[in-house]
Amino acid sequence: MATSTATLRSATLDRILQDYAAIAARLPDAAVPRAQRAHALAALSRLGWPRASDEQWRYTNLRAFEAVAAFRPAALAPAAPAPDVSDALELPPPLPGFQRLVYLDGVRHSAVATAGNGTGSADSASAGKDWPAEQRLGLLCDMFASDSAALRIRGSTAIELLFLTSAAAAGAGCYPRLQVTLDPDSELNLVERHLGAPAAPTLVCANVRVEVGRGARLMHYRLQQCGPQIAFADTLAAQLDEQASYSVRQVTIGAGSARTSAQVRLTGRGAAFSWQAIAVGRGQQAHDTALKVEHLAADTRTEEVFRGIADERARVAFSGHIHIGASAPGSDARQSLRGLIEGAGAEIDLRPRLEINTDEVKAQHGATTGALDENLMFYLLARGIDRTTARALLKWAFLGDVLRAIELPQVRRAAEHGAAGQLPDVMAIGALT
Amino acid sequence: MSSAVDTAAPSPSSAAPLLEIRDLRVKVAGQEVLRGVSLTVRAGEVHAIMGPNGSGKSTLAHVLAGRPGYDIVSGSTSFQGRDLFALAPEQRARAGLFLGFQYPVEIPGVNNAYLLKAAVNAARRERGLAELDAFEFLALVRTKIKLMQIDESFLSRGVNEGFSGGEKKRNEILQMLVLEPKLALLDETDSGLDIDALKVVANGVNTLRAADRSIVLVTHYQRMLDYVVPDFVHVLARGRIARSGDRTLALELEKRGYDWISDQVAA
Repeated sequence: MATSTATLRSATLDRILQDYAAIAARLPDAAVPRAQRAHALAALSRLGWPRASDEQWRYTNLRAFEAVAAFRPAALAPAAPAPDVSDALELPPPLPGFQRLVYLDGVRHSAVATAGNGTGSADSASAGKDWPAEQRLGLLCDMFASDSAALRIRGSTAIELLFLTSAAAAGAGCYPRLQVTLDPDSELNLVERHLGAPAAPTLVCANVRVEVGRGARLMHYRLQQCGPQIAFADTLAAQLDEQASYSVRQVTIGAGSARTSAQVRLTGRGAAFSWQAIAVGRGQQAHDTALKVEHLAADTRTEEVFRGIADERARVAFSGHIHIGASAPGSDARQSLRGLIEGAGAEIDLRPRLEINTDEVKAQHGATTGALDENLMFYLLARGIDRTTARALLKWAFLGDVLRAIELPQVRRAAEHGAAGQLPDVMAIGALT
Repeated sequence: MSSAVDTAAPSPSSAAPLLEIRDLRVKVAGQEVLRGVSLTVRAGEVHAIMGPNGSGKSTLAHVLAGRPGYDIVSGSTSFQGRDLFALAPEQRARAGLFLGFQYPVEIPGVNNAYLLKAAVNAARRERGLAELDAFEFLALVRTKIKLMQIDESFLSRGVNEGFSGGEKKRNEILQMLVLEPKLALLDETDSGLDIDALKVVANGVNTLRAADRSIVLVTHYQRMLDYVVPDFVHVLARGRIARSGDRTLALELEKRGYDWISDQVAA
């Protein structure tokens, strides 16, 4: 296999390997065991750096990732105590009832109070678990992570995780790493936010592993609001046990280039998964999401909603693959993907895929891409609303399905303001509720 | 009017024409749908335009409101003395022309209050009036909501989102009452309404009747006209006004159907 490995070698991969060799000895075992880092290194070497010619990576702006000067982590150890992390970055107001954990450049910020319930360093539960080819950027995080957040939830709680990238991280990598385990019948409201705007190309490469136990419920809000110089890779793997419920509300509005690679396995009877996401790109932003859901047990459910807007020369892509296995009769899968092209040079690519290998399932999917609905436009014009306002209102309404599904008011407001910030005409008319 | 006029047609009033359509010909996808419609509507009048399916009733209403997709081949239309077709749809609305839709669209994510307030203030700006603030707007809309027997909570809901057919029609009339147009074109507002909802809607329409306003009801059935009594009834058949008369014409249509008129046009 030496020949094929050699052919997959690229200049980027060579740089990654060199950076790793230079820093490997200083990477903390507590964050990721050495064996697991080596395993990730070997896997990435085998898979190679992704190429745009690969269908799975076609809409990811890989050049933005390749433009980062160094893959070494920007920070290796918890930050020195600082009076206030907001000296470096403006933090959003705390969420009432939430415990807040702050990670700065990929490591826990020691000046911020830690959550008291069920947190700690990563255990080795994820050791040896491979990321598949379409999630291979997760291997980078396994190789370079200098810290890891592990949440083990018993009972009911609410946690906010802020992953901040400081100006000092410019030109290097930040590797947020999160493992969430919900014990049976537990409940967690989790807010995960990524913020920061360094001045030079910077990599933020996050890994999230989720295990939802029998009858447990996880509501996971994910807001990516990074600055334009950040190349953002987000790799998520989740597994749901019997009667478990996992709901994701994802808002992707930041970063010059963002790639979310998520795989969710419904392994327990009656498990329910909901993914409702928006992506709003403008300028030359590229937002690419690849989500795969596997129904592996009876009576499992998936609800998938995506709304993407591409303005100016932005590219927004969503690939939704739902696989219903032979062991999953009674499954119910619904997929609604919609894209709105606003800019002359903008591009939307929606790829729905339903793969059904058993009888007695309910499945429906729909994917539409286009301009604003002329019937809706005429209705507003016929009420005397000017064309600019009507367009803004309809753009806002287009995102409404997902934004209204964000139940927490503070998170919804943050998501709305973030999305409206990407749509100046919406901001101008003050359509926010 | 260039079309045939029934001997029972009442004499037009001496008021100035609010809407004047002259020999209007309109094509849709290359096919002529309106084939020389002429109609004069004066201030204070209520006209009913009736006709069989496909006769061009809704086309006429939508062309007047400015919906894209229609090819105006010839003819002229003035509204309050202005060339209507020179105005964009939103300008027509702000000038006081209101279209009540047969199938009002749902716009989740845009709430009713926002739409109504934006529409009211757009019209007020056009008339050189100060915009209503939130309190003034609420005071205005509350009185109209009661009249239409709509729950106030609907203001915070998306436009027509999840509304029944009857609720959508009530909402159309509510919008009309709040906007107080000079000319209301109501496109089959009665369709799909049960008798109670029809009475509420008709009551709303009658509330708008005034010496300086006009209403054009586009309808297939005469039952709406039991509650909103028109001054004139016109029958549109094969793209032109085939007959005009007073309300007794609607009753005759109820008994005899439309075929006899369509046959006359064909002949």
